[in-house]
Amino acid sequence: MRSSSLIGTILLLSLFASGQASAHATLDRAEPRVGNTVASPPREVTLWFTQKLEPAFSGITVTNAAGQRVDSGKARVSGDHMSVSLRPGGAGTYHVNWHVLSVDSHKTDGNFTFQVRQ
Amino acid sequence: MIWTDTDIDSPVIVVRAIYFAATAMMTGAIVFRTVVAAPALRSQRKAGAVVSSQVRRLAWISLPVMVISGAIWVVLLTESLSDQGLHEMVMSGALRDVLTLTQFGMVAQVRFAIAIMLAIGLLFDRSRWGSRFVLAAALCLTASIAWTGHAASTPRGLGYIHLTFDVLHLCAASAWVGGLLPLVLLLHAGKRDRSLAQPPLELEAARRFSVLGIISVATLIISGTVNAWILVGSFRGLILTEYGVILMVKLAAFAIMLAFAAANRLYLTPRLASPTGSGALRWLTRNTMVEIALGLLIFAIVGVLGMLHPAAHFVH
Repeated sequence: MRSSSLIGTILLLSLFASGQASAHATLDRAEPRVGNTVASPPREVTLWFTQKLEPAFSGITVTNAAGQRVDSGKARVSGDHMSVSLRPGGAGTYHVNWHVLSVDSHKTDGNFTFQVRQ
Repeated sequence: MIWTDTDIDSPVIVVRAIYFAATAMMTGAIVFRTVVAAPALRSQRKAGAVVSSQVRRLAWISLPVMVISGAIWVVLLTESLSDQGLHEMVMSGALRDVLTLTQFGMVAQVRFAIAIMLAIGLLFDRSRWGSRFVLAAALCLTASIAWTGHAASTPRGLGYIHLTFDVLHLCAASAWVGGLLPLVLLLHAGKRDRSLAQPPLELEAARRFSVLGIISVATLIISGTVNAWILVGSFRGLILTEYGVILMVKLAAFAIMLAFAAANRLYLTPRLASPTGSGALRWLTRNTMVEIALGLLIFAIVGVLGMLHPAAHFVH
């Protein structure tokens, strides 16, 4: 293949590359589920990721509908998942903010919400 | 639901590429001496001594480059985690935290210790056990790179499989790409001083390197396939993500390297001993320089790839 057509092919293929790929999402699933409604305030929030995490540089904060922090502060990290215990926080929309450092040095953060019916 | 970007640091990419290249050059030279040069030149003590000293020189040049680029890598990572400059991160303890509280930092400490032992080993490596120790230390340094990459963060049992194949991938790449420069130096040393290495011995070294190359390429293809299956996982992942496209560029560079390697081993090397040998040697050298350039390009691409999130996380 001539070098010019090789470069052309690579450029063409790059057009197909999803722009979404630059958003580094590593959250695999969460409990309570992202965007879901649960019947009563959960005791803890657990997040599963696609990669193993560094405990010293990963954490979760959870705030209730009134904007008060309801997490215990220290997240428990084990392999590829992390959880934090919650104080009772009432009904409404809870906000979860997480930040992680994967073992291969990728820093990522994100947030989501879930609803508590009361 | 909001996902946020992480910035990819171009200084980190450059430092990573330099680290990989220096490690490959060092390990490749040491493997070349043990597997190719020493056996081929066993009956030629003078030639063997010259090649051995060239290899030692390559190792002494690449070892400090490797250590310094490794240290800069740790500092750049700490900077991105703490937003502190070098002085501040030392005083605040952020650098200490990264070194002692992350796997990356612990591996960096182990690598530094092995590098010191390798340097000591190089001082004693005229002895048989000294050179064996040096070979083992060099291979450990190459293998340890697996613990800084995606393989280190693959969870559960699959993680062990990923690490194993990544170690094989790294050692094979170092042995092949890192052995190219010593090969060219050996062939030219023979040409410069005809009493140094007779053509049959040069051919013997080139033949041995071909075998090493074939084993390395086979290992690269098998281990690369396993790694790609874990990190990309599907054809869609290959063509629809940034990770996949850059991986394909790496594969293209690898294929071009293979073509040059095949031309060297199958066509030019047998012609070294013939009357037109000097023409063949010129072409062989030129082609090998292209192979080395492509190898360095691949290290740069890997410098980028290791910073991206694997395609398998986006596309199933």
